[in-house]
Amino acid sequence: MFKNHLKIAWRSLKKQPFFTFLNTFGLAIGMAGALLIALYIHDELSYDKMFADADRIYRINADVKFGGLPEQLGESPEPMAETLMRDYPQVELATRIRDQGSVLIRKANVTSNVKELNSAFVDSTFFKMFGLAFLDGDVTTALTEPNTLVLTRTAAEKHFGVNNAVGQEMVLNNLGTFRVTGVMEDMPKNSLLRDHTVFISMPSFQFAQIGHWGSLNYYTFVKMVPTADMANFQEGLDSLLGRYLIPWIQDYYPGMTEASFRASGNFINYSAMSLTDIHLQSNMKTELSANGSMQNIYILSFVAIFLVVLAVVNFMNLSTAYSLKRAKEVGVRKTLGSDKSDLVRQFLTESGFICFLSLLLAVGVAFLVLPLFNDLADKAISIPFQNPMFWAILIGATLVVGVLSGTYPAFFMSRFIPVKVLKGSGLSDVGGSKVRNSLVVFQFAISILLIVATVVVYQQLNFIQSKELGYEKAQILVLEDINNVNGQEQSLKREVLRLGQVQSATLSSFLPTPSARTGQTFFKEGANNQEDAINMENWRVDHDYLSTLGLELITGRDFDVRIPTDSSAVIINEATLKTLNVSAENAIGLRISSDLGASEDAITYQTIIGVVRNFHYDSMRKNIEALCLGIGRFPGSLAIKMGTQDVTATVSAIEGIWNTIAPGQPFNYYFLDDSFNDSYDAEQRLGQIFSVFTVLSILIACLGLFGLATFNAQRRTKEIGIRKVLGASISQISYRLTTDFLKMVGWAIIISLPIGWYAMNQWLQDFSYRIEVQWWMLLLAAFLAIAIAVLTVGYQSIRAAVANPVKSLRAE
Amino acid sequence: MLLQLKNIFKWVNSGGQRIFLLKDINLQVEEGEFISVMGPSGSGKSTLLNVIGMLDTFDEGEYHFLDESVHTLKEKHRSNLYKEYIGFVFQSYHLLDDLKVYENLEMPLLYKKFKGSERRAMVADMLDRFNIVGKKDLFPAQLSGGQQQLVGVARALIANPKLILADEPTGNLNSQQSEEIMQLFKRLNEEDGVTIIQVTHSEKNAAYGSRVINLLDGRMV
Ligand SMILES: Nc1ncnc2c1ncn2[C@@H]1O[C@H](COP(=O)(O)OP(=O)(O)OP(=O)(O)O)[C@@H](O)[C@H]1O
Ligand SMILES: [Mg+2]
Repeated sequence: MFKNHLKIAWRSLKKQPFFTFLNTFGLAIGMAGALLIALYIHDELSYDKMFADADRIYRINADVKFGGLPEQLGESPEPMAETLMRDYPQVELATRIRDQGSVLIRKANVTSNVKELNSAFVDSTFFKMFGLAFLDGDVTTALTEPNTLVLTRTAAEKHFGVNNAVGQEMVLNNLGTFRVTGVMEDMPKNSLLRDHTVFISMPSFQFAQIGHWGSLNYYTFVKMVPTADMANFQEGLDSLLGRYLIPWIQDYYPGMTEASFRASGNFINYSAMSLTDIHLQSNMKTELSANGSMQNIYILSFVAIFLVVLAVVNFMNLSTAYSLKRAKEVGVRKTLGSDKSDLVRQFLTESGFICFLSLLLAVGVAFLVLPLFNDLADKAISIPFQNPMFWAILIGATLVVGVLSGTYPAFFMSRFIPVKVLKGSGLSDVGGSKVRNSLVVFQFAISILLIVATVVVYQQLNFIQSKELGYEKAQILVLEDINNVNGQEQSLKREVLRLGQVQSATLSSFLPTPSARTGQTFFKEGANNQEDAINMENWRVDHDYLSTLGLELITGRDFDVRIPTDSSAVIINEATLKTLNVSAENAIGLRISSDLGASEDAITYQTIIGVVRNFHYDSMRKNIEALCLGIGRFPGSLAIKMGTQDVTATVSAIEGIWNTIAPGQPFNYYFLDDSFNDSYDAEQRLGQIFSVFTVLSILIACLGLFGLATFNAQRRTKEIGIRKVLGASISQISYRLTTDFLKMVGWAIIISLPIGWYAMNQWLQDFSYRIEVQWWMLLLAAFLAIAIAVLTVGYQSIRAAVANPVKSLRAE
Repeated sequence: MLLQLKNIFKWVNSGGQRIFLLKDINLQVEEGEFISVMGPSGSGKSTLLNVIGMLDTFDEGEYHFLDESVHTLKEKHRSNLYKEYIGFVFQSYHLLDDLKVYENLEMPLLYKKFKGSERRAMVADMLDRFNIVGKKDLFPAQLSGGQQQLVGVARALIANPKLILADEPTGNLNSQQSEEIMQLFKRLNEEDGVTIIQVTHSEKNAAYGSRVINLLDGRMV
């Protein structure tokens, strides 16, 4: 019987190629989209799971408020790892990573440096913790001694080749000479250490040995014994404050007890976060590498489900509509003795058949667009063709889709009553049009929602990018790694300023784009106590900072090289006025200090000489917080304001200067506005992903509508013919055929606009600086939906209307 | 006795009024009868045939088919009953356009769960009997109306029904084709003992049968 079902399925699909194409294509698009999203989510969920014992590895997080504002950190104090190892038998192993960022590295006998983007000081137990194997060298002793380091395969290949690296000497800029003691495989792409290429022994880092509980700079990982009781361990973490931190704090604040510490609203809460949760759930001020977000996973899951549901709905709709053509077949079969269940099986076979056709097409499409998708999502996903699990899931999912989409039409058709459908020979109405119409409404409602989402996301992005930032980001070139010019920063700056196109330049590590910066605790003169302390960012700049970045003073004055006391002066932003609780005029001359708790004669004060208008130095997601600028040394970069002419020539002139002052050092630069745009990468990607899937969903909805319109026109051929014979004009008839569909789109608009308005307002709440969802955005979405519907249906309607009535009537 | 209708009424409600489609039908059909149902258009001939064929329900009265009381049976049972004993022939043939001639013939057998070898034998036998072996691989659209109806009759007969119900089987055929079909019915009735009830407008066709039933406004006259 099944063979027979299959044969009949094949014939009837072949007989209606247009219907089969619409159905297959619509499903395939939905499936391909969902497949890509599923691969993406699978990749996001796989982070750090490849490490041996990953389920037993935890990172110690710290939730801290000690003066200033509360902070959430993924880092712990220096003695944390050792203490946990010593005090808690449940901890099998503890290891520390101190992120060092980019380093310049070279072989001892050459002069030119190579920049490695990510390096870290790590304990010798690091490799054991993550179960990392070496390609060369001894993994147990590799990092036990000072001035040793381990390279990844890629890093080793740049200098020596994998097998010749061990035993070689290398020079790290500013850090000294190191011996390579091991070469390891590159870190997996889906791990939190994916970008790290150089691991330096912790004993090389002088501050790592001072037992200082106050610094929070060490990512501390622990591996628990398999039987560990995590609730019990949490209690242990809670007791650290009383046992270690308070005694340490007492050195600085004699007499402070845990009770008085807490009484002033302070806290330090440690917690253990599972290694495998970090990628999607951790959102600390600093992380070892950029993390994903659970929110995006949810959004994308919804989009995937939407797509499949849209495609399934499409299928149901087209199938029931086209079933009118098969009403006679059902009737005949029933009179010949077929029962309902047999017909249901027949129709399910047909939808299963289409689903598998779609599956093949979907996998093909996904394979073809994968490179584009990877580009869009910033991933390196591949389709796991060799994995039997992949196929099993895919086929399972297809069966589910087949059953979901085939069941309604199958039961719908199998219910046809022979005496009704066998009467006459034309296409009679078999009902179900209410369900079909609601499904079209549903499809369009989703499409309109997605259009609204896309419009709002793009508007917000546009708003962020064009918002008055309070500083000039255009035409500012930032030259990096200035600390490698051996104290020649000033001559570099002087030389650069001589170039005709360069207007001004400033030396500073602090630039107004979102990046990981931490605040510092300050107090007003005369208020040297915890309660009144304020937290603010403290930027070290030079005398040309305000002019180069175009910051605007609202009162007071800029730093002046001729006034020597300006080395201890600060300029604050407007937001600081509020935290200090002073007016702009009264702020000038006020003295502040960061030596909280020190005795009066040991305090260094800084005098406020000016107030700058608030500028957006951090993400638009955040409010502008307190910030002070002071004259500092050891700048990390040189920001150069250039004219708009001859940019390329100017850049190469700057490179020339760099090469004479710092021969052999890599010339790294970027433009400030690019960096600014990059910091909204997540929103940009979200916007792009939305628009792609919006187009897909609209496409699916259009396929469905087109199919219905075609069918409708066919079904009404006789009616149209009669109307024409009786004198109706073409426009009257096409109008009649089109308005039926437009009514459905109207309903979709009424349903979806309030939901879209609400949902997008919720999304915008994430931004401190945001647009409002405006009526024109909703209107635009509605208009687009109508336009799309008119275009889709109109063609069919007009075609039906211009057909020769004599022909169509004879056909009946 | 093959079947018996007792005081059958069928009506529809329209605008608060009850419109009778069948009124007090009493009919007894013996095995081996060849009955012709006649009457003006709209008199209820098709309705009666559908009731007998159990494709349609009635509102009042009793219907006995062989030993079963059709009026008390559940739909599932009813369809098993007609599947087993009744074959239908339609005015517009109602062959399935997607199926070849032999597949059309095979279909009722599939529903009755005959084995593949049995099916092949029975189809071959039917093709032989109706002299359409040469047409077995053609689709209905490739046949003349008369040939299509021939296939329609063959299909109704293939599973050895006791009763054939034919609603204007020659309504779409020319006189020569009609004649052939009627000859065929007569032979089936006389040689194979198949009971036949046909609806017809033609006196000539009605004459092939052994008994004529006249309907007027849903009533037997
Ligand atoms: N569902 C229905 N609702 C209302 N009236 C119906 C319905 N079905 C049939 N009728 C009416 O019942 C009457 C009998 O119909 P039927 O099809 O049995 O006639 P007929 O004798 O077969 O006519 P013809 O020779 O034209 O085929 C007709 O008047 C028809 O209008
Ligand atoms: Mg009739």
